[in-house]
Amino acid sequence: MAIADRIAVGQELPPLVKEPSQRRIDVYSGVRPRSIHTDPAWARAKGFRTTLAQGMMSTAYASEMMTRFLGAGFLKGGTLSMTFLAPVYAGDRLTVHGRVQSVEPDGPASRVTVALWVLNQHGQKTAAGTATGRGQVLHSDIVGM
Amino acid sequence: MTEFPVLTYERLTIGEEFVSDTHLVTPEDIEAYAYAVEDDHPWYSGPSPFGGPVAHPTLMANQALHLRHGKYVVHAGLHAKMHFEFLEPVRPGMRVRSRGRVIDKYVRRGRQYMVTEYVTEDEHGTVLVRGQFTQMLIPEGTRHGDR
Repeated sequence: MAIADRIAVGQELPPLVKEPSQRRIDVYSGVRPRSIHTDPAWARAKGFRTTLAQGMMSTAYASEMMTRFLGAGFLKGGTLSMTFLAPVYAGDRLTVHGRVQSVEPDGPASRVTVALWVLNQHGQKTAAGTATGRGQVLHSDIVGM
Repeated sequence: MTEFPVLTYERLTIGEEFVSDTHLVTPEDIEAYAYAVEDDHPWYSGPSPFGGPVAHPTLMANQALHLRHGKYVVHAGLHAKMHFEFLEPVRPGMRVRSRGRVIDKYVRRGRQYMVTEYVTEDEHGTVLVRGQFTQMLIPEGTRHGDR
């Protein structure tokens, strides 16, 4: 598992592509009647064209990106903040993007802040936010410092 | 049989508290979650820097998000914002529960919101995850698209 050994402000993280199918949504949310996530008729009655993935699924995608980037430095001591901007429907194709926004000293290592955003297959932003974690590099080793 | 009241903006009070049931985290929970979010990182099923398997950091997020379901019938809602602080990894075998408190409610552009702060802790009271979330209420008899 690759953990970042060089970190640069402006660095783009490898995008993640996710396809929240109805089956995956069912497993994530639990199948229940009168749920906008798993009951299509109820979702339509509530004004949506079909069932929606939980916004929380996008936080899982973002945390995967951060764990692949910073490893243990995200799982213990990381933070994640997201705003959900548009519905994600069952069958949508999402791409999660991340870019290093800042790197600050944090004890002997560094606190890395990443800007995150999620686009659907139409290019519409469905979620955005920031995440932080401890970089496993010395602050002085950061590219561009 | 206990009858929960329907959650309404008017009924909700700032400061009211919620607590979940205790959940035993199993490898099967982690496996199912990995399928749901398409993330089968090897640390979730084998050795990790923490000495054994850990869970996805967001594994127990729905336990927190559903806290209000322990006191109310929730007609429908949308998740607007989420903030996590991952303090300690969740591990299989832990018995975890979440506790939350409503810290704000407000109406913006005709929509009703509630804000909850919460912690998820293990059986020893060690806080594993701390966070805050904002949920939009969709009142009974209305449609999200009506506004």
